[in-house]
Amino acid sequence: MRRDESLQSIAKFIAEYAAHMMGCGVHTSRVVRSAKRIGDAYETDVNISVFQRNIILTLKENNSDKIHSEVVDIPALPISFEHNAELSALSWNIYDNNLSLADAWKLYNKIVNAPSIDSLFVLILVGFANASFCKLFGGDWFSMTIVFSATITGMFLKQQMQRKHFNHYIIFIVCAFIASLCASTAYLFDTTSEIALATSVLYLVPGVPLINGVIDIVEGYTLTGFARLVNALMLVLCIAIGLSLTLVLVKDNLIIN
Amino acid sequence: MFITDILIDAFFAAVAGIGFGAISDPPLKAFPYIALLAAAGHACRFCLMSYGIDIATASMFGGLIIGFGSLWLGKRVHCPMTVLYIPALLPMIPGKFAYRIVFSLIMFLQNMDNPTERTRYFEMFFSNSIVTLTVIFLLAASATLPIFIFQKRAFSLTRHNNKQLSA
Repeated sequence: MRRDESLQSIAKFIAEYAAHMMGCGVHTSRVVRSAKRIGDAYETDVNISVFQRNIILTLKENNSDKIHSEVVDIPALPISFEHNAELSALSWNIYDNNLSLADAWKLYNKIVNAPSIDSLFVLILVGFANASFCKLFGGDWFSMTIVFSATITGMFLKQQMQRKHFNHYIIFIVCAFIASLCASTAYLFDTTSEIALATSVLYLVPGVPLINGVIDIVEGYTLTGFARLVNALMLVLCIAIGLSLTLVLVKDNLIIN
Repeated sequence: MFITDILIDAFFAAVAGIGFGAISDPPLKAFPYIALLAAAGHACRFCLMSYGIDIATASMFGGLIIGFGSLWLGKRVHCPMTVLYIPALLPMIPGKFAYRIVFSLIMFLQNMDNPTERTRYFEMFFSNSIVTLTVIFLLAASATLPIFIFQKRAFSLTRHNNKQLSA
């Protein structure tokens, strides 16, 4: 099964693959498993240490004592389930179909460079999602429309700021503030305004790192799990700061339940 | 009327699941299944909670349904379980409690001179924090449970040619 690829070139591919997977929000055990699977396909033994910002991996050839180590930085990528699914499938494809390294690179680049969902489409879906969230918490139709418009405003701002590569803490504070400020108009009307205000910032909650963090901890990767949770909690804190700016502004109107 | 309530709840949970999932760029083929799982999980929690079960336990059962559902449906679309169940879990994150944490923190700081009010917001802060953290932990842990039970199946969901395996 082993072709004439050098240990170094295999290591380079696996390092790039694992770093991309970690960067786009795949939980640690899957990254390790997929990397080992690819290593298996090329008749090498892969051992990996995963940290929050780096991956260290060592490849050992099965029938000799050649060893190669690689350290790679994990890039900060937007979360992508598409990449998660496709790259996991790629590891099985390599394993089952004896792909050469050149073919593997070709498929990998095709997956990584595929266009993501149109941002306008995402914007509208997120608006509807947050409005339905408002309904789930017991908001009425009027609150839902307010939350819809507040979310669209905030999410649009987030997309624009991300395109300009602002610091993501700043993005979260500003977007939470603007969205909740839009939603606080609900206090002018007779509606379920507390629920409207509460749900208006929920589109920002970093649910994927939060859940990934718990999954990592449950599966024994406590270090990366905690790192993910801490990162997610920092973002939650930023949302709280943005929201509190609004709350302080409108605090005289707040209804205490 | 109860059935209509459940259906309404399921519908809005499905919309929320799709929308929050869309932020994380899921494969297009996975959308219908995400919606289905989000609806099933949230409706389950809604039913249990209307029978008087607390939000943490009800969320755990909702999470279990979503976890096992994603194991079952993942094979059809060749998606890892997490791709289906993370977006489906997002509508179950207890946002209202999370909001009350921030709210009570602000009000606590604003009422430092007033002992009765201060104690009240202090209590509100902790009870809401406990609920939020427990629910999120139970959701993620219970949805992950099927991976531990059916490891072999869970690890090969994205494998396309299982013929080779049986041959």
